[in-house]
Amino acid sequence: MGKIFLVVPDAPVEKAEQLNANRTLGESGIRLGILDNTKGNADHLLNMIIEGVKKEFKVDSVVMTRKAASSRPAPDAILDQLAREADLVVSAMAD
Amino acid sequence: MSLLDTLQQKPGALIACDDDPEAVFDLMCSRGWSDGLPVIPPTAERVERMLAYCDRDLDKPVLNIPPRFGAATPVRIAANAVMAGCKPEHFPLVLLALEALADEQYNLYGTQATTHPCTPMLIFNGPAAKEAGLNAGQNAMGNYFRANAVIGRAVRLALVNIGAAIPGTGDMATTGTPAKFTFCVAENEEQSPWDPLHVELGFPRESTAVTVIAAESPHNVNDHESLNAEGILTMVAGTMTITGSNNPYYAGQPLLAFGPEHAATVANDSMSKADVRQWLFEHATLPLSRFSKDTIERRFRRKLAAQYADAPLDAPVRMFAKPEDLVIIVTGGAGKHSQYVPTFGNTRAATRVLKRADGTLAKSLHDFKRN
Repeated sequence: MGKIFLVVPDAPVEKAEQLNANRTLGESGIRLGILDNTKGNADHLLNMIIEGVKKEFKVDSVVMTRKAASSRPAPDAILDQLAREADLVVSAMAD
Repeated sequence: MSLLDTLQQKPGALIACDDDPEAVFDLMCSRGWSDGLPVIPPTAERVERMLAYCDRDLDKPVLNIPPRFGAATPVRIAANAVMAGCKPEHFPLVLLALEALADEQYNLYGTQATTHPCTPMLIFNGPAAKEAGLNAGQNAMGNYFRANAVIGRAVRLALVNIGAAIPGTGDMATTGTPAKFTFCVAENEEQSPWDPLHVELGFPRESTAVTVIAAESPHNVNDHESLNAEGILTMVAGTMTITGSNNPYYAGQPLLAFGPEHAATVANDSMSKADVRQWLFEHATLPLSRFSKDTIERRFRRKLAAQYADAPLDAPVRMFAKPEDLVIIVTGGAGKHSQYVPTFGNTRAATRVLKRADGTLAKSLHDFKRN
């Protein structure tokens, strides 16, 4: 049977490596960022995660943020705050 | 240089397959590049023919489609249009719909990834809709008509294939909707007693436009008995007032698609679209008590506290936040039915007018044909 060539209809993930950043944590501990997406139980889940992280690592500070709606991206003001005040961010949804 | 020659120089742009329809379909399904229905093989030759009706840079993305944010270049979109069964002259309308979906207010990321069963409903107005063969008459939201089927399907395939809206990973819809195969309609402008949607929005009557809404499946309004506007709208309001819709919670824009006969009855009582909106804003309400106790407590009292924290249980819950939020069109053929289409909620309708690459209004689909 002969062969045909098809145009691939999908698209590769581009520049995915930019999503990864090397983290160097200082002696003072983690500056933990929290982004609550407003789903019904997200706050409960995130509080459990905060407690879990604190048991495993030294945590210097926790900055809590919350979106206006789960189905919209976080506004720049929140993202800028997290970029400024957190070494890493945990976001979660939990209905 | 042919498109085939160009693509052969790009690693991963082509894939070899046995020259057999079943082999092609098996390959597409195994790669996740399908909606589950058979496709036309997107050979480079067919994609090149599709692109004969594209006056843009073929490698410049029209948009990046979430959640993967894949670059939707005309070449990739054309491959999906071929798969869907589009004719080349359908292609400008596929691109137009995707451009509209890129409007931030539509919230493509949220609508692609949500658990809610929404999908883009494409509403076309203007001369090129008719030129493309879009059906606005009998069975306007149903099957059978190629242009409606394949233009909507091409957009859906692009969202899945380029955007990776894959069920369970990128598209988290709990049940989804059959409208995810295709949901593409045209307004029945000839039988509407009002200005068509694009004219109402301020665009020239002679222009062609698409309006996209993040739609649920349509909900039927059967009313064979009412003889005046109040009667028809009472039945519409009854269909709109449902507790399971997202629209009571968010400032979304649900759609009312009148069948031409219902529209004529309403308009014969001298009601404009604005009158219809105002009437339904006031009458399409549910008392708060119709929602579950937990929904009242957790959603209305807590998340919508500004409006409902202390509201009595007989407080009216409206189906849209402002009268002007209700989108109204006329579509379909003879018969006493209309359709109510709830939406994702946290989304706004977006409209785009068909223009050539130089920014001038397109008068015909053939304006896009490359020489």
